[in-house]
Amino acid sequence: MFLAAFSPKDDREASPDAVLVRLLLQNDVAAFEKLYDKYFRIVYSLVLRIVQQSGPAEEVVQEVFLQLWRNSAQYDAARGPFVPWLLTLARNRALDTLRLKSERQRRLENQSDELFSVAVAPEYEKELDEKRRAERVRSLVGELNPQQRRAIELAYFQGLSHSEIAAELKEPLGTVKSWIRNGLIRLKEGLHTAS
Amino acid sequence: MSDCDQFREMYEAYALGALDPPEHAALEAHLATGCAECAKAVAEARWLVSQLAYLAPEASASDMLKGRLMQTARSEAKSKSSSSVATAPRKTSSGIPYWLSAGIAALLLLTLYFAWDAQHLKEELRASNERNQLDEQIVANTQDERVATQQKLAAMEEQMAKMHRETAILTDPSSVKIMLAAQKIRAPQMVAMWHAKYGIVLTGQKVPMPSGNRVLQLWLIPKAPGGKPMPAMTVRPDANGNFVVLVSNPPAAGSDTKALAVTEEPAGGSAEPTTTPKWVGTMS
Repeated sequence: MFLAAFSPKDDREASPDAVLVRLLLQNDVAAFEKLYDKYFRIVYSLVLRIVQQSGPAEEVVQEVFLQLWRNSAQYDAARGPFVPWLLTLARNRALDTLRLKSERQRRLENQSDELFSVAVAPEYEKELDEKRRAERVRSLVGELNPQQRRAIELAYFQGLSHSEIAAELKEPLGTVKSWIRNGLIRLKEGLHTAS
Repeated sequence: MSDCDQFREMYEAYALGALDPPEHAALEAHLATGCAECAKAVAEARWLVSQLAYLAPEASASDMLKGRLMQTARSEAKSKSSSSVATAPRKTSSGIPYWLSAGIAALLLLTLYFAWDAQHLKEELRASNERNQLDEQIVANTQDERVATQQKLAAMEEQMAKMHRETAILTDPSSVKIMLAAQKIRAPQMVAMWHAKYGIVLTGQKVPMPSGNRVLQLWLIPKAPGGKPMPAMTVRPDANGNFVVLVSNPPAAGSDTKALAVTEEPAGGSAEPTTTPKWVGTMS
């Protein structure tokens, strides 16, 4: 199920995902299949939204899951939940295929180390029903003004920087920075309120 | 003002990858000092940003993708568990047939053409940007034009990257050459070049056209006893029966593969072969 991609229970010590990822170290194909079945929809949906073409999207998804299979030790459950790690990996790989601008490429390469950094779910996150959370994210982002929403989408799905978004939308740099930050803070507060 | 104060407004943009280089470098340097407060805030921002994936419209990948991945995983798991089995030595290709050399030359020419065309598109994009600045009344139209040009440029650059990879596979001396002989049909053999890093290029000349909408599909036959054929790319030859197809991410390593086979399959390909192979080539 698509929404099952986001397990809200992030007990990092013994989460089912962390257990499955540990099994990959023992070349457990069944564990790999379970992880694939659980997350391929959200990973593919995200990648397709970024690269826009089904062929390249499938290639990226294949690379992402093969990286998970071959290098599962790169995921450290003690440093954060699995899903944000997987989605960050998928997003970076997908943006990498766009290769529209050398600057973006350079920035993404610089961020490669971040891939394996910490992503911590706030306390309230553990109590939020996953389906409600998905609906809430869409609803909260939908409540932003169209330009603000567009700025966040350009950053997330196209990997544009503040300056590139300002040029794209023909808005002052400071305005774009405020839109993105305030939009994400509203999302965070909205998720907190919803819990 | 503490050191952290100047970074508080950057956490979300940093997690999003939207900071411009100077700000990005400044926050990176600060995090490198081991600031626990900023590290915690950035970690929470990363989680928040990951939630934006919900905004992507739901879509589903093909069943073939899962088939390829699972077969790769099974093959690699077996390979790792039988570590006593020595890896078969790979035969290094020596010499490329004249017609393949012609293909490489054509690829290089096409690469040059696409490079020129990509430059042309970039100039077009720049001109479009300038037009945007000059005439606000046609902003909507020119934005559409810019998006279309950007998409065309992206597709062009993707095509160029593919051609570079194909050329590298065909010319690199470490690529392994596999000849696929026709089985019970009168047809020229196909040639595959397999590079451990860049993938497989399969080429065919004067290949009989598959009937109707059917396609030719490449399969990797695992060495492991009982291993199922792994599906790779599908292709339809051009009107002259020629094709060059790239498999950039083979579902198995060359050392785990016994042979390559090509079958005729329904449009879109199959997860398992539905016909007997028309071409087969063993790894030597």
